[in-house]
Amino acid sequence: MNAPDNNQEPANAPWDPVFLESRREALVILLLWAAALLWAVPYCYLNGFPETFVAEEFSTVWGIPSWLFWGIAVPWLLADVFTLWFCFFYMKDGDLGEEAPVESQEGA
Amino acid sequence: MSLPPIFNSSFLAEAGGVSPALFTFLGYTAAVFSLAVIANYLRKDGNFLSEYFLGNRGLGVWAFALTFAATSASGGSFTGFPSKIYSHGWILGLWIGSYIIFPICTMGFIGKRLNQVARRSGAITVPDVIRDRFRSAGFGLLAVALIVFFMSFNLIAQFKAGSLMLKTLLSGVGVFESGVTLLKDSIGGSVDPAYLLCLCGFGLAVIAYTTYGGFQAVVWTDVMQGVVMVFGVIIMLPLALYLVGKGAPEGVGSLEYATSRMVDMSPPRRGVAVFRPDGPEGNRAPLGEGSWIRTPGSDEGAEARLFKVIPKLALEERLRKRGEPWVAVLEITSPGDRSQVIENQGDLARSDFILEDLELQGYAYGAEDGRKGVYVTGPGPSPSSDAGFLPLSLVISFFFMWAISGSGQPASMVRLMAFNNTVTLRRSIFTVAVYYSLIYFPLVIIFCCARVLMPGMDAESDRIMPAMAVFLTENVGAGWLAGLLIAAPFAAVMSTVDSFLLMISSGLVRDIYQRNINPEASELRLKRLSYLFTLLVGGAALLGAVNPPQFLQDIIVYTGSGLAACFLAPVVYAIYWPRSNVEGCMAGMLGGFISHLSMYVGGIFANGSFFRPYRLMDFDPIIVGLLVSFLAGYLVTLRTPPPPEDLVRKYFYKPEISTGA
Repeated sequence: MNAPDNNQEPANAPWDPVFLESRREALVILLLWAAALLWAVPYCYLNGFPETFVAEEFSTVWGIPSWLFWGIAVPWLLADVFTLWFCFFYMKDGDLGEEAPVESQEGA
Repeated sequence: MSLPPIFNSSFLAEAGGVSPALFTFLGYTAAVFSLAVIANYLRKDGNFLSEYFLGNRGLGVWAFALTFAATSASGGSFTGFPSKIYSHGWILGLWIGSYIIFPICTMGFIGKRLNQVARRSGAITVPDVIRDRFRSAGFGLLAVALIVFFMSFNLIAQFKAGSLMLKTLLSGVGVFESGVTLLKDSIGGSVDPAYLLCLCGFGLAVIAYTTYGGFQAVVWTDVMQGVVMVFGVIIMLPLALYLVGKGAPEGVGSLEYATSRMVDMSPPRRGVAVFRPDGPEGNRAPLGEGSWIRTPGSDEGAEARLFKVIPKLALEERLRKRGEPWVAVLEITSPGDRSQVIENQGDLARSDFILEDLELQGYAYGAEDGRKGVYVTGPGPSPSSDAGFLPLSLVISFFFMWAISGSGQPASMVRLMAFNNTVTLRRSIFTVAVYYSLIYFPLVIIFCCARVLMPGMDAESDRIMPAMAVFLTENVGAGWLAGLLIAAPFAAVMSTVDSFLLMISSGLVRDIYQRNINPEASELRLKRLSYLFTLLVGGAALLGAVNPPQFLQDIIVYTGSGLAACFLAPVVYAIYWPRSNVEGCMAGMLGGFISHLSMYVGGIFANGSFFRPYRLMDFDPIIVGLLVSFLAGYLVTLRTPPPPEDLVRKYFYKPEISTGA
């Protein structure tokens, strides 16, 4: 049995909407993680790991080494902006349901 | 600018002319106990276990956000992390790189769905979720066993960390020193009495408020601890920039000046030396730990050399071979650092000794003659690895380590089961994102400034946080503030310990006793057992920490990454993959555990120590553990029968359909 891969479910589909939304949001988060990795690691490695250090070529932005400023500090701010968008404009609210009575559990 | 005598035991006691350390500890403990009493008083009626271990799934935004943040930011954030920044420089900004997306990954990835699944089953603990989702008591017990195994070790390590921190905090305080003397007389020399006293103080305080107040007490003390942590950083950042900027030429910014000083830094050398008094004996004070010695350069006209006597522990093996006149030393190699030490120490730097014998060892990476820029570029200096502190393979490993393995921590999962609705989750993710932004990158800046302001602490960099707090506050004439700043790391350790303590006792009471031994146990009996087990587990961890294992940080890393390797894949499959079944997810859990463990066991043969794990293709064991766990879970699931239809309906279908089924 497989759940649909997107949100184009038929009107009478049995899947729980919170499950579908959560899974879609989890995929977006995974993509964000991959994007952060693919930007931060290559950028910092290519610009911040010199074979030989040449003082004249070394630069800073507001006192932070520029490879770290553009590789981590700026993406950090962008990630916060993305988080703001994700939390307040993308992530769906859903009814998480009532608490199942503990007595209903097997062995409880 | 002057440097407080940080290795004089009274440095904290003297800060501000009062005893801010003792004041902080007592005030802090009083606040924690008050919160525990209030939490106990406000405990709602209803199911005791759900309230005691999960707060009845009623956490709002601030409580949820700050308890999540404070539990995730263990003591390492305020001891190990500053120590690493001080030791390796700006590269730590990349080491912590995946924190840019840590909150959204760790809370958003599984939070909403895990909370829903836990509600549908009525689960209170993580093993509860696993057991009910797959209707397998055996799987639930396996999860309990792994949690108790990893967390017990971690708890002992955290108890040790908290006690060491408290020891630093109280060193030199009159009442404390009297207590140490009394204890020393009664126990002999088998255990460090100062450590033992701190362990009892710290341990009993945490055990008491956690036992009494349960989850609500832990959450509300976490909130207070979270606030203390962020205020500590917010106060330290401008102070550090202000002091480092005092030496900057006109027109050059504070941080720009600090970084330019770091460009010229070279790593210190460590070794052993013999110093002889120069000239006739007089009232010459002996060379104690922390003493600075200036000796003439080896060649005529060469710059004077500068040594610091460091704790024997740092080079114990080499000292034992040589005997008495030898002392462990650290030599400062950068001219800028030498000037800074002379400025800080003034007349305290000794020049009444001559260097008679010396054996030094440079860093394995970064100490080449004339090399510059090692503290401002990657991979950063390393005393032991010739690949540097953070080669590319480890950069990638740490991107997994923080953001991905952070999602797999059972202590975080419990919190994700405790928020009251999705609005709380959304707001909390953003709150934690802002909170971490205010803490982690500023910490990198603060302790890069510490490298410039306080050279020579490389051998004792674990103490850089309290030392920097005292240095900053004394130099701006606000010594009383030191106590508050030092409370931040203490708060971080406490908030982690109390959560782990409750995790273990919930595993024993709920997952083993109630669900397997006595399902009919009365509310009163469960209540008494919860108190008893929390007390017993805490007491056992306290006893274990009397003679704690040596490799503190290594144990924390092993248990944290091990838990993620065991739990992330099974939980992700359980909540997002309707086809997942008990066989596949158990295989994922065991596969993660065994592959991760085998990397560490491999370390015994490959590197001579369990805590120097074998790194497959130079990657950290967490990568291997996660890959094996996800792969084993997937493959075994596909090759075994699908789960029962009614289970899929219960956890993946709309409620009205599942009810009707």
